[in-house]
Amino acid sequence: MSESERKAVYRVKIRGTVDDVWRELTRTDRPQYAMFNSVMHFNALAAGGQLRMRSPNGKYTGVAGRFVEVTRPVLLSHTLRFTNYDDPECTIVYDLKEIPEGVELTLTVEDLPTGTKSEKQLKQGGPFIVKNLKAVVETGRPTLGARLLFVLFKLLAPFNPESTRSENWPLPGTGS
Amino acid sequence: MTDAPDMNVVFQALAHPARRRILDIVRDRPGCTVGAVGDDFEMSRIGVLKHIRNLEAADLLVSQREGRERHLYFNVVPIQMIYDRWTSEYGRLWAGRLARVKYRVENREEER
Repeated sequence: MSESERKAVYRVKIRGTVDDVWRELTRTDRPQYAMFNSVMHFNALAAGGQLRMRSPNGKYTGVAGRFVEVTRPVLLSHTLRFTNYDDPECTIVYDLKEIPEGVELTLTVEDLPTGTKSEKQLKQGGPFIVKNLKAVVETGRPTLGARLLFVLFKLLAPFNPESTRSENWPLPGTGS
Repeated sequence: MTDAPDMNVVFQALAHPARRRILDIVRDRPGCTVGAVGDDFEMSRIGVLKHIRNLEAADLLVSQREGRERHLYFNVVPIQMIYDRWTSEYGRLWAGRLARVKYRVENREEER
């Protein structure tokens, strides 16, 4: 399968500024609603820096990755692997472009691990992420569907696999 | 929610059978080139290109240049937003069940 076939692209136009969207993509002060209500942790927001997406209480780590390119406020790229699957990692690229209506946000998933559970999750997650980034930047809150999903996540948290516990996914240089 | 002008462009783009077929092709073959899409049509290359531009304007197709070629990707987000706008009101659970019954029954009829 060629490189272009192992790629998925999601795009949305957002009424806001590139700085607004960048702030949402990189914020660490509260859960990122567009990222399934997970909190971003990183040891450096720069190429080579490690990131983790953790539950609001910090107990579970859903995603682990490494920044590939950080060009504020127009390009953010990082590797991604889901901690509950033993699948190869892929690369996520957020491309922000200023347009007359606001911002055109393109999310590209490269090196999709085809035929895996991660692929299925990434393909379901792409539309969720871009439409909720739009909702959060334009209205200040995520979509109703997302809010219901967050309640469900909270209820199901005790059933998360052991492999996702944050002590198994330490963030180098931070002690957490 | 997609605002009205955005949605008008999406509905206009979806209103032509050739454009819907292009979306089917690109969804099934992500990353295919403009030329490869044209091979599936009897119309001129310029005609196909016009439809592709129409779909790009509605954000239903995203093209990315890789080397000398332009690769096409289906962007499901505008359709997802149309779905979100109306389905929560009428209950996506029952709509999904009814749709699945229709697909099952109709596929069975085709098998006969």
